[in-house]
Amino acid sequence: MSGAFTIAAKDFRSLVNSPLFFLLAGVCCAIWSINFLNLLGDFAQRGMFGQEASIHFTVFLSHLSTVNIILLFAIPALTMKLLAEEKKMRTYDLLLTAPITATDIVLGKFLAGYGAALVLMTISFLYPLTTSLVSDFHFGPLLTSYFGLSLLLAIYVAVGLFSSSLTQSVMFSVILGVLFILSLWFLSQGINVSDRPLVQSVMEHVSLGEQFSGFIRGSLRISSVVFFVSTAVLFVFLTQRVVESSRWR
Amino acid sequence: MIEVQALSKTYGEIPAVQNLSFKVNKGEVVGFLGPNGAGKTTTMKIITGFMAPTSGEVKVAGFDVFENPLEVKSRIGYLPETPPVYGDMRVEDYLFFAARLKKVPRDKVAVHVREAVEQTNLGDVRRRMIQNLSKGFRQRVGLAQALVSKPEVLILDEPTVGLDPRQMAEIRELIRNLRGQHTIVLSTHILPEVEASCQRVIIINQGQIVAEDSIDGLLKSQSASRRITLKVKRPGAYLLQELKGLQGVLSVVAEANEGQYRLEVDNRDETVEQIAQKVVAGHMGLLQLHVQALGLEDVFIHLITSEQGGAK
Repeated sequence: MSGAFTIAAKDFRSLVNSPLFFLLAGVCCAIWSINFLNLLGDFAQRGMFGQEASIHFTVFLSHLSTVNIILLFAIPALTMKLLAEEKKMRTYDLLLTAPITATDIVLGKFLAGYGAALVLMTISFLYPLTTSLVSDFHFGPLLTSYFGLSLLLAIYVAVGLFSSSLTQSVMFSVILGVLFILSLWFLSQGINVSDRPLVQSVMEHVSLGEQFSGFIRGSLRISSVVFFVSTAVLFVFLTQRVVESSRWR
Repeated sequence: MIEVQALSKTYGEIPAVQNLSFKVNKGEVVGFLGPNGAGKTTTMKIITGFMAPTSGEVKVAGFDVFENPLEVKSRIGYLPETPPVYGDMRVEDYLFFAARLKKVPRDKVAVHVREAVEQTNLGDVRRRMIQNLSKGFRQRVGLAQALVSKPEVLILDEPTVGLDPRQMAEIRELIRNLRGQHTIVLSTHILPEVEASCQRVIIINQGQIVAEDSIDGLLKSQSASRRITLKVKRPGAYLLQELKGLQGVLSVVAEANEGQYRLEVDNRDETVEQIAQKVVAGHMGLLQLHVQALGLEDVFIHLITSEQGGAK
């Protein structure tokens, strides 16, 4: 287990110190800033016309969906190097001949990637947080939404890590990662595939959007938490299998 | 220390290593010699637990590589062909990372790193980024990485490849200094390297062991002949005939240089004596008579070509 933390510490440091991370964080900040300002402006205008609106659903929710869309692309770009680059630069040899298990390697990489993703998420949390200085609102739904987002990011990181384990090329790893995450989102489209209630309820259950909506409304559903965590664990496990199997090829 | 039993590895259909068996004793420095693509790297990767063999078994310090991979890996320091270094790290940070990864006890990490830096002479570049270092330095960082856990076994895959002659000499010197502290297996296709650093040689070709012996033993067993360079002042046409007629002379070639001959003779000293007598008795003015044993290079080429001939 100590091996996992050694790798996590080293990879987290090299991730957040890389120019790529600065670039990503910069782009995220720029987009979120402009977007959040617009949202706040719209909200203020509505207030002037006397329309009732909740800041959570109008401003924060839109902000959250922008954050989600950007991170959906940014996280595979963040995780692309984790394993693909190791293979390309032959530093994989060091990891695979060190007295640590494949599980240590993958867990370490996951923690590093997740840590970096949480840094980006924390930046996005600053926007609603500063709003609290000038306005009064319930923190509850905001916090559950961000908790849901943090679980969602765990899935993104696990999927990104998995696609990074499949290839030596960082480019290909990003593309694969984005495709995998998009397909997870589009899985819910399968609801219309069949009229049978069983199929429909299964598709509804595996839909990221459906599971996420609970967090947005401010409720913490254990089933949703379990769904997000187990999806992340599934992809981490798949990555572990890929790393382990490299010895047998 | 290392026991390899009937090891085979095939990549798909292509056999890389076939039925390889050898032993390396504690404290030995063994050279693993073979042309490119002979299966040296594959064998080393299997010993380090990087990959699994198709069949056969490998034991290091009594532990089976596949049943106890962690025990084996913690006893091995491995320098792959390409040093496994991270360009975006500083030399010292990298070595700290490697030491922790190799489970060096927490309180000893700093000492081990310092010693590895001293052993490999990296003191001056300790705080430099690895990506800014020259190839020779990177190789040394890779070597320091292998040494940092003070492993019982060192496995070095072509440690001098791509270095300039001075760097090569430095690395060889370094390996010589490590002798006695570690059991070392060193692969190479450069012969002087083996002669400089190894006590025993395993020659491998097309995935099979062709010869396994000490360097002296190898030279003795394989070189049934010696080479003589002969130079005379007044060569006569009859000299060539007479030399060829002598017992023990295998071949005589007149060289482009007037009066210079190259002879291949058997191992008996009498043959040399006879040649000298002939030249002196004929008043030809002996200028040079140089006897040379066949080198490791000749033995190597001989072994490899004869093996290939035999296989066909």
